[in-house]
Amino acid sequence: MSPSTSRRGVLVLAGSLIALGVTGCGAGIPRDAQGTLRRATGGTLRVGASQNPPWVDITADGAVDGSEAELIEGFAATIDARIEWIPGAESVLARTMEDDGLDVIIGGLTSDTPFSAQISPTRPYATVQAPDGSTLKRVLGVRPGENALQVALERYLARASGDL
Amino acid sequence: MSARGEPAPEFAAHSGRDALPEEQRSLLSRAIRLEWISIACTAVTVTMVASLAGQSQAMKAAWIEDALALLPPIAFLVATRRIRRGPTRDYPYGHHRSIGVAHLVAAVALLNMGVFLLVDSTISLVTVERPPVGLTVLFGQAVWSGWLMIAVLVIACIPPVILGRLKLALAEPLHDKVLYADSDMNKADWSSSLASIAGIMGIGLGLWWADAVAALLIALSISRDGVKNLRAAIRGLTDGVARTFDEEEPHPLIARLEQRAQEAPWVLDAAGRVRDEGHVFHVEMFVVPASGEVVTGAMCEDLRASLHDLDWKVHDVVIAPVAELPEHQAFHRG
Repeated sequence: MSPSTSRRGVLVLAGSLIALGVTGCGAGIPRDAQGTLRRATGGTLRVGASQNPPWVDITADGAVDGSEAELIEGFAATIDARIEWIPGAESVLARTMEDDGLDVIIGGLTSDTPFSAQISPTRPYATVQAPDGSTLKRVLGVRPGENALQVALERYLARASGDL
Repeated sequence: MSARGEPAPEFAAHSGRDALPEEQRSLLSRAIRLEWISIACTAVTVTMVASLAGQSQAMKAAWIEDALALLPPIAFLVATRRIRRGPTRDYPYGHHRSIGVAHLVAAVALLNMGVFLLVDSTISLVTVERPPVGLTVLFGQAVWSGWLMIAVLVIACIPPVILGRLKLALAEPLHDKVLYADSDMNKADWSSSLASIAGIMGIGLGLWWADAVAALLIALSISRDGVKNLRAAIRGLTDGVARTFDEEEPHPLIARLEQRAQEAPWVLDAAGRVRDEGHVFHVEMFVVPASGEVVTGAMCEDLRASLHDLDWKVHDVVIAPVAELPEHQAFHRG
């Protein structure tokens, strides 16, 4: 393959993808790499919850409470989804997500999460001041590449926080 | 007249800049301007991309790429400054070779960029990285960030397309291989932006691998350009025969120089070796006088002047009268 052939190849690829994108435009883009949003809509959203009050508070009887639990329940209602709670530590949940076992993770995560390879942080829904004076951006975690789910959740968060 | 004779008439200009005729000198000033514009454009693009993409890993890669694109223009500007100096006792050949060094720097930068992209996209494919691209709120409107990235990349594409073409147009009349390599770098720049556009569209359609595959294809062609330029730069610096600005063939001037030397009435045979010093050539011409001819300094001097007048690139000429052509130099005998 000569340099000009591979350049032409990419040009054609870019052109046809843009054409595809524009013709099938609007609500269709972005799509999930693995169809999570479509699967969860009217079905089950698998949410990993990591104990971290007041954002996530798992009670003795296994019920999940806290501000982020309320947020994700609100989102699930918009897509008519039932939530399946999977409790665990952030590191364990990150690995489960990598193995495709989770759709969303909550647990008072911040945008500088060390698990950014396994968890895609949403845009921040709140900015808070840490005790040491630095600013922390509160985020939820989405399965990376599930961009339809990510955009839908971020849109909901932006409305909830008044950005939209 | 002293016993050593008159000093040779000085038709060869001193510094690399003086060696250029009026037309080439104005082309060089244009090239210098272009390279400053290149640096400014790259700086703006880097800021634009960095401000949009924040913490994302993919954009860190884009930043390294952009920084590499700065190297050829910087090398060019340093080299063109350096060739203003004339020959000294420490640098008897002058500083023309700085152009060759700049060519090497540009070639290594280009190859680096190709290999970097190649490794980066291969890792993404092998480890199945599915790039997340979320939502941006812009003036109270929710927009998929992918559309914004595409818009920025389209804008970032335009300057390297234009600058690359302008540089390529100057590379031949200036015989400047740094400009040639830099126009390859511009090509690498816009084509990798194009690949990113294809990749982001692919991500939008749920094809997580599109980004890496597009980058991989472009990386192959950038690496190829890098290797081509690297070989050319090394060949030039290790005294390979002077070639055309695009390395396509040995420079046609060589045959014309030998022919003109052979046409001198007192010359029976001539063979030359010509190396590219950067912009200008260094010529050593072995000449065999016709039998019975007594070679004088003035005759050699006339021949030197005549060869020098052939083209502005013929900068530094040495005439070596010999009884017969050194066997290992008589290539034109085929």
